[in-house]
Amino acid sequence: MKDINIKKINDFIDRQVMLSNELKLKNSYNTFNDDQVPKSKNNILKIFLNKIESNDLIKYAILSFIMLLFSTILLSIVEWNTFSSSASDHLGKDKPTYFDTFFNTFWWSVVTFTTVGYGDVSPVTHIGKIISIIIMLLNFGIVTMLGGAVASVLVTEKLKGDFVLDKNKFKNHIIIAGWNKYIEPMLKIINNHNHLTNIILINEEKNDLVEQSTLLFKNLDIIHLKANPSNDTILNKSNIKNCSVFMIIPDTSGLLPNQKADENKTVLTALTAKSISEEIRVIAHILNQDYESHLQRANVNEIVHIDSHIPHFLAKHITDPGAPQLYNELLHKENGKNGIHVIEIPEELIELTHEQITAYFKLKQNCILLGYAINKAGFSIVDQMGDSGSEIIRKMITEQIDNAGIKLSIDENIVVKINPENTYRVNNKHKAIILR
Amino acid sequence: MKLSKNDIKKINIFNSLSDNICEEISNKIKLKECKPNNKLFSEGETGSSMILVFQGQIEISKNMAVKSSDGFLVTQKPIIRFETTDPPPDSDPITESTVKISKNSAFGIGEFSLVLDNAIRTANVYSTTNLVYGILKLSDFTDIVKKYPEIGGKIYFEVAKSAVQNLAIATQDISNLTQAFFYVLNR
Repeated sequence: MKDINIKKINDFIDRQVMLSNELKLKNSYNTFNDDQVPKSKNNILKIFLNKIESNDLIKYAILSFIMLLFSTILLSIVEWNTFSSSASDHLGKDKPTYFDTFFNTFWWSVVTFTTVGYGDVSPVTHIGKIISIIIMLLNFGIVTMLGGAVASVLVTEKLKGDFVLDKNKFKNHIIIAGWNKYIEPMLKIINNHNHLTNIILINEEKNDLVEQSTLLFKNLDIIHLKANPSNDTILNKSNIKNCSVFMIIPDTSGLLPNQKADENKTVLTALTAKSISEEIRVIAHILNQDYESHLQRANVNEIVHIDSHIPHFLAKHITDPGAPQLYNELLHKENGKNGIHVIEIPEELIELTHEQITAYFKLKQNCILLGYAINKAGFSIVDQMGDSGSEIIRKMITEQIDNAGIKLSIDENIVVKINPENTYRVNNKHKAIILR
Repeated sequence: MKLSKNDIKKINIFNSLSDNICEEISNKIKLKECKPNNKLFSEGETGSSMILVFQGQIEISKNMAVKSSDGFLVTQKPIIRFETTDPPPDSDPITESTVKISKNSAFGIGEFSLVLDNAIRTANVYSTTNLVYGILKLSDFTDIVKKYPEIGGKIYFEVAKSAVQNLAIATQDISNLTQAFFYVLNR
């Protein structure tokens, strides 16, 4: 079962890679063509014709119009006998049911073409009726095509969406891909943090349902994008390149209550995000540990897997009664002020020892210093080499590392140091983890 | 084409020499021509002569085992190309260059052979265009140095300079390779 899953995932990954390559190829083709746009007049006509040919809607609309004129002229000719010498003959009299003017013939054409069929005027001669049959049959096809083209334009527009993001506002925002029952309590905690935060939710849940569950959070500015988050157009639209955190949670949107979230989608979404930019900080929540290796391969920054904590929680009830209760207290009784927080260390304390900083927090702020969150700098072999040595060797190193499927840089990440020795010195990469 | 003292002066390591010495050197060198894709030096061979290229382009390559889509292969990896500018090559190179092209009015290759008897060639050298070149043998050069001992210092200074430069780059290459090695081991 596990093997099948992994195979499935690998297939997914392959397909994704192939897709993204194809996209790149397509893009490069486009730019290539744009460069070659010919400028002479003769070619402008050609481009115009090309545009018409590529746009179904315009093509069928023009075709329909030509057919309208064609049928009007043809029927006017075969029904010539019924044309009055002058239209003024009828003025004020009963309306004739035959074609008496060009306008009436045109009227008949439009009424017939749009399948309205008032029947106020109609051809009277046999030849006129036969031609009408042919025109009606031909027209049936064209009108169907036109209808299809209109529908397809509408669908494309809907896919594109009318949503345009304010790029100035949506910087350092949070994007959450997926929807499940945990999202509401999670947003509640973020809301309690008392910082105005811009959040984009991407999932396939109904708009009003999302609105309902997010209405109360006054510190959060939430936008909901109803779409599949593994789609890179959607991610680009949410300005993912400039987000501070991209979080992926198991997605149950659009599923029945008893259906389980498809975690392949989590992996796919992570891959898509990282393929847009390696810099994006991706946090993924998984339910099944089998997916962890795939997420690691996708270079996800943080992987959250709650089930792995269960043995510890259970065992501690036996070995250290009280400890699990403490966890519960910390996790569930947290409000805006109390609980665990990560804060900046005041500048004057940098370079001091752990002992001194502990004393500061205890005496001045009345909170317990648990440890430090340390921002580990990223590392790039390319930056490290710079332009030292010979170019050919540097090129060979990067080529070979790349070919071996190893990334050329290591992302920035956060590591935690709990209660170090008293003499431990703190630098400006450290933030304090405190308990209030 | 007859070789003159001015042709010799175009070559980096000889340009500080006096006219009569250049004349002397030019007399010792016989001009040769060859077609593109002609192997002038093979990596690992020993040689006691230096090649002076007056017209054309050459490619320097090293034998290296690299991983490609077909697995590990020992291939001749191009490193650099040298091209003359005075006169420029008489045709385009037979293959498009994948590496940097260094341009000089004329240039010498294998100058370490002027210092060391039977120096080991450190790279392969191929012609990539028609080539006009001359060969300066160590024995001929030694004769000239014996006749005019004062040139020894100048030439050997130039050779030493390029040797030291190469060494500095090689040291950085080793440090880059070591870093890359540890980096890969820790991934």
